[in-house]
Formats: sequence, structure tokens, C-alpha cells
Amino acid sequence: MERPILKPVGTPVAELDTPALVVDMDILEANIEQVHARFRNGNAKIRPYVEAHRCPAIAHKQLSAGGAVGIGVASVGEGEVFAQNGFRDILIANPVASPPKISRLCALANMAKVTIAADNAANVRSLSDEAVSSGVALNVVVDINTGQPRGGVSPGQPALELARAIVQADALNFAGLVCCDVHDFAAAADMLAAEARNRIQQTLDTRQLLERQGIAVESVIVGGDSCLEQAADVDGVTEALAGTYALMDQAHKALLPRLQPAACVMASVTSLPEPGTAILDTGRKAMGEDFGFPALADLPALQVASMSAEHGKLQWTDDAQVSLALGDKVRLIPLEIGGCVNVYDYIHAARDGKLEAVLDISARGKYR
Amino acid sequence: MENYRPLIGTRIADLDTPCLLVDIDALEHNYQVIADTYRDTDCKMRAHIKNLKSPLLAHMQIRAGGTVGGVCAAKVAEAEVMVEGGIDDILIPNQIVAADKIARLCALAKRADVMVAADNPDNLRAISDTASAMGVQIGVVIEVDTQMQRAGIRATEQGVALAKLATALPGIAFKGVMSHQTLPGHPDRETRFIEGPRFIQKTLDVKEAIEAEGIAVEVVSAGESWTYDICSTIPGVTEVEGGTYALMSHAYAYMDDFRIAAKIMGTVISAPRPGVAIGDTGSRCLASPGGVLPMLDDVPGARVDSLHPNHIVLKSDGDMPLQLGDKYMLISGQQDIMVNRWDQYIAARDGIVEAVWDITARGCHN
Repeated sequence: MERPILKPVGTPVAELDTPALVVDMDILEANIEQVHARFRNGNAKIRPYVEAHRCPAIAHKQLSAGGAVGIGVASVGEGEVFAQNGFRDILIANPVASPPKISRLCALANMAKVTIAADNAANVRSLSDEAVSSGVALNVVVDINTGQPRGGVSPGQPALELARAIVQADALNFAGLVCCDVHDFAAAADMLAAEARNRIQQTLDTRQLLERQGIAVESVIVGGDSCLEQAADVDGVTEALAGTYALMDQAHKALLPRLQPAACVMASVTSLPEPGTAILDTGRKAMGEDFGFPALADLPALQVASMSAEHGKLQWTDDAQVSLALGDKVRLIPLEIGGCVNVYDYIHAARDGKLEAVLDISARGKYR
Repeated sequence: MENYRPLIGTRIADLDTPCLLVDIDALEHNYQVIADTYRDTDCKMRAHIKNLKSPLLAHMQIRAGGTVGGVCAAKVAEAEVMVEGGIDDILIPNQIVAADKIARLCALAKRADVMVAADNPDNLRAISDTASAMGVQIGVVIEVDTQMQRAGIRATEQGVALAKLATALPGIAFKGVMSHQTLPGHPDRETRFIEGPRFIQKTLDVKEAIEAEGIAVEVVSAGESWTYDICSTIPGVTEVEGGTYALMSHAYAYMDDFRIAAKIMGTVISAPRPGVAIGDTGSRCLASPGGVLPMLDDVPGARVDSLHPNHIVLKSDGDMPLQLGDKYMLISGQQDIMVNRWDQYIAARDGIVEAVWDITARGCHN
């Protein structure tokens, strides 16, 4: 478990023990307000995908902001943590296939309204059998895939057939359709927007098909921060499943330009081995990122030149006028916040540059 | 935090997934390779615990033999976990700069022999001040940059100057020199035996220059997993900071004296199209820095196609051998970063769970 020196409330963030995951609460609250305001009066509601922060305290802020239905998680283990922290409407956006996991899913349904994604008729039978023997009802949404590198059934007829199987199964309530994105970090914003429009349209077409066959479709859930705007605007979408908007990261900067990065990893300079080079106490291990490097918040002339497991390296040229001293702090903005929070046990919550609280990242490591 | 504690005796095929498995036979084999290599050499292993994050695994290597009797730890917090776990000899081969962290380091020196790497005179003075005030001695090794262009002195004379300063300062015991090297790709044995000694010679040059000033150099800590069999043949190298060898990764598979001991088990949660299986093991639990994908272990005909935060896409050219609900095993490409994302090792022998080991130094980045 993480073992930082936990300093008193009121400590200036520049004095925190590093590496530290620091969240600016004013920015976090502004991001949440900005996004939730769009959903407060619309037909669609937002379902915060808490895998992006794994922190119940932040999820409570999201639900309190209004416009939200419940939360979304990636695993049963995350769902268990959030149910224990008072969340009563939980969507698990990935199928569960193994017997022990399906048992846990049914147990979770005693604590919260549980909705599970499914893409396979045999899996639907397993869910039904276990729900019957556990004496619970599960809500099941059909997972629609319009061409992403993931699971899911194709829109149209295959989705209709699976929906029928769910409707006919004991102890299952057919709850609707879910379609999620797979964020391609290299894709341009307009490409992602076009992909999202197409994905949403095919899902809505499938809804129509189901309704023509007499199957009521309660929810149409559109997943991904990349299509938050479309999900709010398109008639027929009932829920937007998204989570990065709260803390934000570099990968979503172009997609959500009005939101600001609320989270950073505070790092320290531990070596200045030659002119134009600084070594940080923060490397890939403490960034938790797999797809690239973080950005520097306060030093626009500088870039992270490389990272190894335990170290980061900053490099600059003579004309960059950088003066870093041993022990100086730098703020690293994660490329992908979901990976970053998953290596920390604590968020240092700050306001006006001072420590306000230490928040538990209670669902860290809950992959199961 | 995860807390997965299956019953001892459970078949691994019946475990819930994702889980991190350790093959105890493979781990013990790897520890025995080290014990055999260093049994009669002056050079010994100082296992780098940043890869393992567990005092128990450190003790297993120490008990197997071939070690200096202590470990390396990348961070002060990691070192604290080792000392609490009964290890009493620690080298932190990194710079500790922040005042409060230096105080933690000095507090640790009340319970264990502590060495730290330095490359800067101001840092040495800061350590000296705190160590003197707290009444402890901190061992210091000078970090030498041999090729990584990371921390460490760049010129021999810098090393000599630092050694002189360290010798003069109260609260500091000058111990010697250290370096860390890397070789990209999958080098063959011949390349390793050419490049390794060439890099390490730079560290030995600094050692000799310091000795020429009449200062004794007790420690030359200059190797890692890929040079473990080289360092034992280089006179003057006293210890090796090997980490990856214990659990291994597919990126180090060229070091074939060692067996793969750590695997991640997953379950197929979707079989959406012919030739495609989706598993429940994503990058969150596998780690793939720089896009290095994990490898499927022993599933002929299937391969890893792409990795996403919470799922993996497996593909096959013909029939997909993995069906919905099937289990599979993966080998990570970056072992230490992967371990840092887990809270327990499920330790098994012959496919049966023998123990659950907490990864107590997980997340000890401070």
C-alpha cells in the first residue's frame, strides 16, 4: 500500500511528500458542474463511470451535482466497493462469465440495483440460473458493438435475438442497450465524433427494431467521454456513461476543451546530473500509464523526455531559460487518468493550493 | 486495495480472475540459480525488491544463498516495508533529496544498515546534517552513469570529489560506487558479455580513481539481472542489484537460465466473432508501458491482438481455442510495473494454491 508522509490539512501542496496524486477540488467541482448541468434538464442523464477515479468521495460529488442516474463500474469488485459506500444503482459495463463471479454479482444485487452487460445467449442462461437460485433479479443490458476492438453483439438482428433471450429468461429484466467506445489515443477528435455518431445511430436503430417487435427498451446507454456531447444531444439516448470528465487528462483535452485538468502527480527533482537535464523521483511505475508520458503543468518550454520504471527525465536547451534546483517540485498531468489513479491509494485533495483532505481510492486494484 | 485470499489447496483452474499467480517451483529455481552462481564468488546478489515488493520473497533469496544478506529498495517507503519485514541491510540506489524523506531514511538507520546513492555535494551535506542530528550513520555510494544518461556522475573526477566529501562529512560512511546499465532488445550472450563489462568498467575506473586518493572502496554495486552472470566474473564488483530474474518477464526471456514465475490468469468474457476472444485482463492489471503487449502462455494458435484498460483482445487465425468462460495465462512484458498494480500473489505449486503472499510494498513510490 502507498505510504506517503500524510501532512496536516492546510499544508501547501508544494510541501507534499512526492510522488503524490493531487486533485484541485475547485477544478474538479467546476468540471462536474459543467458536465452535469447539461444533463440536469435533458432527457438523457449521466452515469459516472467511476473506474476513472475509483474514489467514492468523488463519485458522491458527481451524484450530488444532479443529472445523474447511478454509477458505472468495470468489474464486480469495483461494484462491491461502491455498494459498500452507499451507491444503490450500479451498472457493470463488462460481461461476467465465470461461476464465482456470477455468484458475487447476484450477491451484489442484494445491496444495490445491479445492471449487467451481456453479449451471449449462453451467458444469459448462466446469469438467469444463478439469479434464480440466489433469489434475486438482475437487470441485463445488451452490449452492442459497432466495430470496436471489444466484445458485444452486432446491432440489429443479433441484438434483437439476445434481447428476446433475456426477456424470456427467469429472474432477468431486460433493461436496454449499451454501446461503449474504445478510446484510441491516436485518433483525431473529428474522427472520434463521427465514430460516435455512427455508433449511437446504429444503437438507436436497434432500439426501434426491438420496439417494433414489442420489446420495451428502457435504457439506451452510450459509453465514453469522447461522445459526451452527442449523448446529451441525441434524442433517444437515456444515459451517458462517462468518467474522465471529472479529473480529466491529456488524452481528453482536445475532446473536452472546456474542462481543465484537475489531477496531477507532484514529483520532485532528485538529480541534476548535467546542464539541461533533471531527473525526477517519478517514473512509469508512479504514473501508472501504459500509453505515453505525462505533460508538465508549469513548464511549457519543457517536455518529459523519457521515463523508466522509477525515474522521469526532463531535458531542455540552453535558450529555454529553465532553472530547476534539487528538490524542486513539478506537476505532471497524466495522459490517461484511469491508469494513474489505479496505482495510488490516496488522493491529496487541495483547494487554493493547500491540502484540504486525503481521499481514499477505495477501489484501487479491484480488477476482479 | 484488492484482498483475494482463496483457500489453500484450491486448484488454480478454480480461482477467480484476474489474479496474479506465482509458480513457486519456478521462483525457487530462479533463487537457486543465484545461490549457485554466487556460492564461491566475492561478488554477491543484493536482490532488488522493487520488482517483488515483498519481504518474504527477499528472505527466500537470502535463505537460498548467494546474497550479501540484504536487499536494494528503490524508495524510502519500500525500504521501510523491508525493515519492518525483518531485513536489516538496505541499499537505496537512488537519490533521497527532500528533507522529510532524509529524516525517514535516517530513522530507518536506527533499525538497519542503510546505504543510499548520491551524485551531488549539496545532497551529501543535507544527509550529513540530518544523520548527525539524529545520531546515525548513513552509508553512501556514489552513483556513476555508465550509459543510461539518468542520474549519476558523468566524469570520474566528480566521483573522486564526492568520495572525498563523503569521507569528510560526519554522519556519513563512504562505502563505494554503484551503477545501473540497460541493453535494449533481446541481446544474445555474446553481446551481453561484450557490452556489460564495457559499461561496468566505467564504474571500476571511478573506484580506482577514488582508491588512488587513499580512500577505501568497500562496495561496487554494478550489475542487474542481465549482467548477473557477467558481474560474477569481473574482479572488483562486489554486488549485483538483480530484480527481474526472480519472477521474470517475456522481455527478459533471453535470460533463459531463469524460468517465468509470474503469470496473470484471466477468463474469456466474450467470444463475439469467429477467431476473437475477449478476456477480463486489461492494461490496468497487466502493465504494458510503451505498448509492450503481454504474451499468451501456451495457447497454440492464439495471440494477443490488443490491450485496453479493462479487457484484452485475443485472436486466432483458425478456430479460436479459447471459449467463453475458459481461463488463460499471460506473461507480462514489464514485470516490476505489473507487480506494483497488485496487492497479493497467489502462490501455487503443481497447479494447487500453496499460499497467499501480500505485496506489502505495493504503491510505495515515496
